[in-house]
Amino acid sequence: MPMISSNPPSGGNKAQQQQQQEEMESSTQESPLNPNAFTFDLPHPVYAMAFSPSPFAVASSCSAVAAASPRLALGSFVEEYGNRVDVVAFDEDALAFRPDPALSFDHPYPPTKLMFHPSPLPPLLASASDSLRLWHLGPETAELRSVLDNSKSSGYCAPLTSFDWNDEEPRRIGTSSIDTTCTIWDVERCAIETQLIAHDKEVYDIAWGQAGVFASVSADGSVRIFDLRDKEHSTIVYESPRPDTPLLRLAWNKVDRCYMATTMMDSNRVVVLDIRSPAAPVAELQRHRASVNAIAWAPQASRHICSAGDDGQALIWELAAAAAAGGSSEAAITAALEGIDPILVYTAGAEINQLQWSAAHHDWVGIAFSNKVQLLRV
Amino acid sequence: MAEVDASKVVVVVEDGSRDEPPPSSSSWKPLRKAFRPYVSPSQSSTASSMQSSSGSSSSNSTTLRVIVKRPLVARLTKGLVETYQICNPTFKYSEALNPKRFLTNPSIGVLNDGYDNANSDLILHVNFELVNSEGKRRYIVKDMLGQGTFGQVAKCWDLETNNYVAVKIIKNQPAYYRQAVVEVSILHMLNQKFDPDDKHHIVRILDYFVFQRHLCISFEMLGSNLYELIKMNHFKGLSLNIVQMFSKQILRALVVMKDAGIIHCDMKPENILISTSVKPTEIKVIDFGSACMEGRTVYSYIQSRYYRSPEVLLGYPYTSSIDMWSFGCIVAELFLGLPLFPGASEYDLLKRMIQILGGQPPDNLLRDAKNTNKFFKHVGSIYHLEHEETSKEVTSAYRVLTEEEFEARESKRPSIGKNYFNHVKLEDIIANYPYRKNLPEEEIIKESLTRLALVDFLRGLVEFDPGKRWSPLQASGHPFVTGEPFRCPYKPPPESPRIPVIHTVTVDHNPGGGHWLAAGLSPQVSSVNKYLPLNSPHFHKVPMSYGSSYGSLGSHGSYNDNTGLGSSYGSYGDINSVHAYNSPVGPCGFNMHVQVGGPFLGSSPDARHRSQLSHGTGFGVSSFRGLAPMSLGASPSQFTPPSSQMQISSASPGKYGPTSPVRGGARGISLGKAAAVGQYNKRTWGYPTMCMQPYGSADHGPGFCGDGMSCSQPDAQFRGHGGSPHSAISSSSHSNWWQQMGGGNGLSSSLNLANQKSYPVPQAQNSFVVSSHSLEVPCDKPEGSSSLPDPADWDPNYSDESLLQEDNAEVSSLNSEFANCARLTDPSDEAVLTSGIGRYAHNQAHPSTKFLSSNQRTDGLRQTYSFAENYPSTSHDMRAGNGRPTQFLQNFPSRFGQQSVHRYNYMNSTMHGERSHQYGQPAYSNYNRADSHSSANAMFSNSMPWGGRVGHSMATILPTSKKDYGKI
Repeated sequence: MPMISSNPPSGGNKAQQQQQQEEMESSTQESPLNPNAFTFDLPHPVYAMAFSPSPFAVASSCSAVAAASPRLALGSFVEEYGNRVDVVAFDEDALAFRPDPALSFDHPYPPTKLMFHPSPLPPLLASASDSLRLWHLGPETAELRSVLDNSKSSGYCAPLTSFDWNDEEPRRIGTSSIDTTCTIWDVERCAIETQLIAHDKEVYDIAWGQAGVFASVSADGSVRIFDLRDKEHSTIVYESPRPDTPLLRLAWNKVDRCYMATTMMDSNRVVVLDIRSPAAPVAELQRHRASVNAIAWAPQASRHICSAGDDGQALIWELAAAAAAGGSSEAAITAALEGIDPILVYTAGAEINQLQWSAAHHDWVGIAFSNKVQLLRV
Repeated sequence: MAEVDASKVVVVVEDGSRDEPPPSSSSWKPLRKAFRPYVSPSQSSTASSMQSSSGSSSSNSTTLRVIVKRPLVARLTKGLVETYQICNPTFKYSEALNPKRFLTNPSIGVLNDGYDNANSDLILHVNFELVNSEGKRRYIVKDMLGQGTFGQVAKCWDLETNNYVAVKIIKNQPAYYRQAVVEVSILHMLNQKFDPDDKHHIVRILDYFVFQRHLCISFEMLGSNLYELIKMNHFKGLSLNIVQMFSKQILRALVVMKDAGIIHCDMKPENILISTSVKPTEIKVIDFGSACMEGRTVYSYIQSRYYRSPEVLLGYPYTSSIDMWSFGCIVAELFLGLPLFPGASEYDLLKRMIQILGGQPPDNLLRDAKNTNKFFKHVGSIYHLEHEETSKEVTSAYRVLTEEEFEARESKRPSIGKNYFNHVKLEDIIANYPYRKNLPEEEIIKESLTRLALVDFLRGLVEFDPGKRWSPLQASGHPFVTGEPFRCPYKPPPESPRIPVIHTVTVDHNPGGGHWLAAGLSPQVSSVNKYLPLNSPHFHKVPMSYGSSYGSLGSHGSYNDNTGLGSSYGSYGDINSVHAYNSPVGPCGFNMHVQVGGPFLGSSPDARHRSQLSHGTGFGVSSFRGLAPMSLGASPSQFTPPSSQMQISSASPGKYGPTSPVRGGARGISLGKAAAVGQYNKRTWGYPTMCMQPYGSADHGPGFCGDGMSCSQPDAQFRGHGGSPHSAISSSSHSNWWQQMGGGNGLSSSLNLANQKSYPVPQAQNSFVVSSHSLEVPCDKPEGSSSLPDPADWDPNYSDESLLQEDNAEVSSLNSEFANCARLTDPSDEAVLTSGIGRYAHNQAHPSTKFLSSNQRTDGLRQTYSFAENYPSTSHDMRAGNGRPTQFLQNFPSRFGQQSVHRYNYMNSTMHGERSHQYGQPAYSNYNRADSHSSANAMFSNSMPWGGRVGHSMATILPTSKKDYGKI
């Protein structure tokens, strides 16, 4: 097992302590250890992370894990062919992580994305790297169910940058690739439903909005919406101000489908879009002090979004109720000029690489930084 | 792999602060648990404390940063290939294997080694790279803006300037290639010479090159077109303010085009684009793909139907005044929201004109127009008519056919469109067009007055008689444009064009004629014929087909000695400065002069002759070569000329405009003279000094160039004529000379014509061959073809009316220009009156002779022109090289002209001869090949080399020219 990180476990504790000291300094009412942050250390950095859907108990082999407890799939980021996906449960009663070695498995290349099947059954986990893989997390073991690969040239591979499982139509997974395409898979038949040349450059992320509508972001700097009923056309809802500034991540608000958010490479901004008014973002969230690495909409609320970045901060933002209306108040003007402030902040000890907000357990946000994964209660 | 069980579980102590209410989806609020309230750095010391804390942990974080060089998200997206290659050295990814989003349809590679589809279009896909190998400039294709018969227009990212540009990628076929070269040369000239500051609302050409055998032309990126604007306005008329502003701007473009001797030939709302990058909003005239130089009108089937002028419709020689007709149609459409003459057929179009405008084309036009019989019935006698012309009776010898008569003649019923207006007459249509809602009373009164001005304005534009139709400058002085109060019908200052000029004769060609090809004659010859026209059955006006015209361009350079030289030189100069300037420019320069001189109509034909001569001689000017690439061996079939007729273009529209009844007689005379002169001329040629072109004074030349409209020229020319009868003679002689030359050399003709089909005309008296027809063939444009890609395609951005702002400055400038123009014209007019010989004179009095002379004159002017403008210094040098004293230039304009001639002569005859040969020959060779290979492919192959050189398609031409120039 290659240990990329030289960071000893104690380092994490130290960082955490520092972080909490700092919290003490800024807001002295809290104890040195944040009582609502739970850390899981791994022997390697983690990038891909996924929360399991709600009741996971059925498929769980770990008897100790409560049915309602969140589960996490964690993908390693190790610069070797051999990587790893770990499945970890969090016991909310014991407030302890319980790794599930039986369901962990080796994975080729660092996964760029992990995602559980939207519903508890079947107990499937999908992963993306050089191909899309479906893993069946059986009671006893995890087994590779299928490899969905559409490369046509042997020896060459167009790796996947991301994918999204359609929660309204779980047969569908849409993948994004650096070969400028998005591929829609029918995972039940393990067949390609369609492949679209979605962008003029690499596609970096994809997100479903409806059963037949998805959006994607690309190195070409655009956010495009596709409707599978009309594959000939796409709608460009945003283009980065400087052409060809890559857009890396995309998040579609599942509560209010009018909103989506994207991040630019090497940018401290989160761009929030209203697809009803393309071109002009409704908000640009720019309180991070380094590049933003991950974003997640609150699964239970329409106007909250969390972002995390290289400044080690996770910020929770509340968008103005009438973001589109603009309002007449000074606040609106100020917001227009300087952007809004987040309402909450969490400071990790290191660059935060990943952020997920559990759809099944709304009060848990997971972040990954260095060799650690933390669950944060919100 | 990671040992999961070894991983530590760290549980942070909980503080039990679960006192917050449970979240509800409707008004969910995150709680302050793991997160704490955000405190703005400006509001507290948080920032500093946080920084210090991060500073204290620097050792750790530094370690982390070394490990995680960049955010993982970037390493798994932007850097994914790199990352995976680190993970697995055998990982392979090839961008080339990516699925391509093809923009070209069909996208199956059939021609040109698989680069082209069956339509000879370059197969484009997103991220396709167009490379100007010469300039190392690269363009990344991003989207398709439009497709047309000419090829495609793609939105491209210019890696050098980091801007979007519109790149026109011409089909890999000789005819389109050649036509596009004309477009490039014309636009280049317009941009560089006539509008260096981009003030005249003409699209800017940014670059051009040959890529994969396709000529690519890069233009500035513009917005939507006026048709789209009207459409966005739901086909309601635009406000008069905007109509006026657009009119003013379009006129500025038309003024420059006329000065340059350019006929756009496809003015319509779709070809006027809004530039959204500029405030106040500006429009730009685009698509010079159908444009030609005055005096080099090749195609008879031009202009989009709704905007087609009566003379084009009727098959009558046309001038730049056809653009003014179209302009009138555009202005009306901007106001009405619908086309003024939405003819469903040509017959319908004509009927609408007659109904809406009242009256009909003048009899002199109908008498000579090729298609008159298609639409009119002759009910009177010609002689009768002539008399009536003098009196103001409007009776006509022609009556438009009724629908039934038309059907009887054509054996088919004409398509008749429906009427969109409730009124018939122009005045009523404008006056009764619905006013905007909720206009206050005073505003309505005000607008009604403006509408009267608009009607008066339109009346001067959609005028049946091309000779009476206002020029751009004249129109620019109209109160509707200037904004001055409109009190009475506008009487524009007289301008030379309005003086009736003899028309060149159109000749009908048999399209089928293999003759064209067969004829060794060069198109230019045809022009010669013009001179000689009486005897020969066909009078060519200026029948230069494109091919020929190109050739002529080049040829101009070479032979034109007078003109040609001037022009060609000019072009060279341009080349140096710019990059490649095509010989065409030279001709353009010519034309321009001509126009300025208004009087000089005939000039162009001469030039052609000369050029041919040069070819024949083997002296071919380098310029030719440039053209050569253009020349298509193209198969006649593809390029069949739209109409068999060749129009003899006279340089100035004015000249063409009204045909003088006298012509016939005049021609005859002229011929006689010409013949006589011919010999004489030869002598002249032999002796450079002899040059007849008295006109151009050095001063004039420059003046023209700079302003485009210099008054002095007309005078000078005029003087020249009056002073030297010889000049006229000389000109004629040129033609003769040329003829001889032409006859002698089969090569020359073939070269020029590769595309063109020239048919040898038996040399009757003159021994001129009429070849011009052939030229036309290659370039034909169907109506639709000329049109650029849909404007809509050009730019998604739509500019709203509100964006449009007026630019008052323009008006003043226009006025001033106008004033200048007026001056100019006046002198010329006087001159005409005074001397029968003057240009005008020849128009009216001795058409034929004068023609020749005028041509020469023009040439002379042009030459001077080019010299002066392009390289004053150079010109001197050249002179010196020639051994000719520069003095001429300064001292005597006329001599100046001579000088140019001299050069020319040199080129051909003595000193230069050798040089020219050297250069010329290569060019020839290309040409010849082209000719020999009738197949388009062969042509291409030949042309390819050019392209290669070119990198600068233009460059190809240029190099030679440069060389020559230098040597000279």
